[in-house]
Amino acid sequence: MQATVPKNRKGYLGALALILVIVGLYWGLIHAPPDAYQGNAQRIMYLHIPSILTAYLSFFLVFVGSCLYLWKREKRDDILAHSAAEIGVLFTALTIVEGSIWGKPTWGVWWTWDARLTLTAILLLIFVGYLMLRSLIEEESRAASAAAILGIIGFLDIPLIHMSVYWWRTLHQPPSILRPDKAPWDNIHPAMLTALAINFVAFILLYFYLLSLRFRLGEMTEEIKTRRMDRGR
Amino acid sequence: MSSWGYVFLAYGIVWSTLLLYLFSLKRRFRRAQREVAQLSSAEELQKHAQK
Repeated sequence: MQATVPKNRKGYLGALALILVIVGLYWGLIHAPPDAYQGNAQRIMYLHIPSILTAYLSFFLVFVGSCLYLWKREKRDDILAHSAAEIGVLFTALTIVEGSIWGKPTWGVWWTWDARLTLTAILLLIFVGYLMLRSLIEEESRAASAAAILGIIGFLDIPLIHMSVYWWRTLHQPPSILRPDKAPWDNIHPAMLTALAINFVAFILLYFYLLSLRFRLGEMTEEIKTRRMDRGR
Repeated sequence: MSSWGYVFLAYGIVWSTLLLYLFSLKRRFRRAQREVAQLSSAEELQKHAQK
């Protein structure tokens, strides 16, 4: 099997992600002004929004990889879904932690059973279950198929999370960026929007760097298994 | 805790967790690379022995 991203390109991706992370930290912590109502606690949003959008992207890749695996039965698609699920769980867990830390000074509580928060916790549980399921079923192709079905079902939670703030009366505010009635620049101070955009790009680059490493690790693990089996014959 | 305290707590947790994950991924990656190299050399030895 061949690595999908050549080593030097992976290095560039990692270096670019690191530069943007540093610029994002400067912009988010120093350059952007504090929010008129939330004060400095609002700076947590420069992590919170990129984290959840990265998690959504990751679970979208789980969805794509799972559909392709069920259709074509190619190991590569299963490795993609598995790798994306692992990193997606990490970003979802971080989103919940960031939201909780932001919630304490803003709402006065670390956690509340709000529709969006609860659905995000369910998303995390589904994909933790996805990872556990893979390790619980011994037969590999059965584990991959069962995980693919769960991955597709799990992804369907994301539109529910997005729409939850419209469908139910919730404590969580409606989206500030992905809203149909207003463009983001009409709604957010330009310095705040820039901080958010830089951090979002930094998270996406970091995500693809982590995914390329995790995907290659999956390919190598598969190669080791196959070669060990060939030697055993 | 002041509002900056919450900000540093969040940033600290996020970046230390992401760094830890990156290091663990690199460690797993290197271990797998070593294993592939070991398998390759064992296969080479086997080929030589068969000759």
